[in-house]
Amino acid sequence: MFDRVDGFVREVGGLETEEALAGALARVTLDLGYRYFALTHHVDVGRTRAAIRIHNYPREWARWFDEQKLGQTDPVHRASHMTSIGFPWSCLDRLIALSGRDREILEAAREQGIGDGFTVPAHVPGEAHGSVSFAAGPGEGPDSATFPLMQLVGAFSFEAARRIRRLREPPPLLPRLTERQRECVTWAARGKSDWEISRILGLSHETVIQHLKEARERYGVPKRTLLTVHALFDGTIAFFDVLRR
Amino acid sequence: MRIVESSVSTPEQSRTLKSMFEARKQVFVDLLKWDVPVVDGRFELDQFDDEDAIYVIVAGLEGQHLGSARLLGTTRPHILGELYPTLCAGPVPTGPDTFEITRFCLGLGQGAARRRETRNRLVSALVSTALEHGIRRYTGVAEMSWLQQILAFGWDCRPLGPPCAIGGSLLGALEIAITEQTPRLLEANGIWVSDDLRNGSFAEAA
Repeated sequence: MFDRVDGFVREVGGLETEEALAGALARVTLDLGYRYFALTHHVDVGRTRAAIRIHNYPREWARWFDEQKLGQTDPVHRASHMTSIGFPWSCLDRLIALSGRDREILEAAREQGIGDGFTVPAHVPGEAHGSVSFAAGPGEGPDSATFPLMQLVGAFSFEAARRIRRLREPPPLLPRLTERQRECVTWAARGKSDWEISRILGLSHETVIQHLKEARERYGVPKRTLLTVHALFDGTIAFFDVLRR
Repeated sequence: MRIVESSVSTPEQSRTLKSMFEARKQVFVDLLKWDVPVVDGRFELDQFDDEDAIYVIVAGLEGQHLGSARLLGTTRPHILGELYPTLCAGPVPTGPDTFEITRFCLGLGQGAARRRETRNRLVSALVSTALEHGIRRYTGVAEMSWLQQILAFGWDCRPLGPPCAIGGSLLGALEIAITEQTPRLLEANGIWVSDDLRNGSFAEAA
């Protein structure tokens, strides 16, 4: 079976359209014993132009999924933020606490003919979280021997999708903060006021206000909460720096 | 033992090496809990750190270690060949133009932005080193939790076999083809740092 994956990796390295990638993914999905695949960024796809989503799920299911705006709240997507390697859906409740709503979503998927599956998280620093999922048909269980292979298929297809999207539009330049601005944002993320930050860093109150104002402008956001979220998201500041004592 | 990143002047080299072995202990033993030997309670060194090992090191202005990787020739004992040959579906790739990347290490305490800069300099230095020394292929054993990031550098990477759960992590063997095109591939992903920038005062740019 590894030969099939090796062939897939060589094939997708040269593809130039999402349609071609979707075709290659559909074929490898079937060959490895699954029925459906979904390669996606975890965002509300209708609102985000740059997001990737390629899948062959039943059309009814995709429509319902979008109507419910499940891109960010789907339990499989949430679980994939808790791990960096692939997991079978039977392990979902070990990764996240499943709410009543989550169980409804999983049940709805089953009614649409989507059986058990396996999801590979796809995290690239500074970009939206994503994942690649493979689902069996109803009542079919995926073969756990395929999990290490799906890990490879997921990772290599996600990278192919990133590359193809870049052919279409080059990635936006990341806003860059000065070292001082970055320090101020880190302290703001820790909940310090402008005045407190000025004491901690030995700067004047006005200087800190100015640094954070310029940092907000560089990100094009109006509020400090959004500024810290953006700076965490693109790796300008790290959770490690904010949370350490 | 050879250091190939040329920004480090000769008198600073022993200091740089020492701080690399210390950083490796902090990253691989203290943080990642790898079961590897520690010397003097401070330095991580194993049987492959011998006179033929090659180190690619990104250092700060005072020669202190920021990031590093160890290159092992594949015609000598190396990690994939000695410890994990079963990760390869076929024979372990070997040859005078094939080197194994091991101990890819980003020093702690740099902050996220600086860390990313160090990573980009290190990956670029690995590619430049390969091009300068006729290395056409890198191999390596990687934890699959890093796979997406390794692929996102944009270089031409392939799996050598199915990943396996070993010692609590999912490990896989990879090969990376290095050609004259590789710098361009890294550049398209915002990773490439040219030799001029790497050897100048880039480390201190805000």
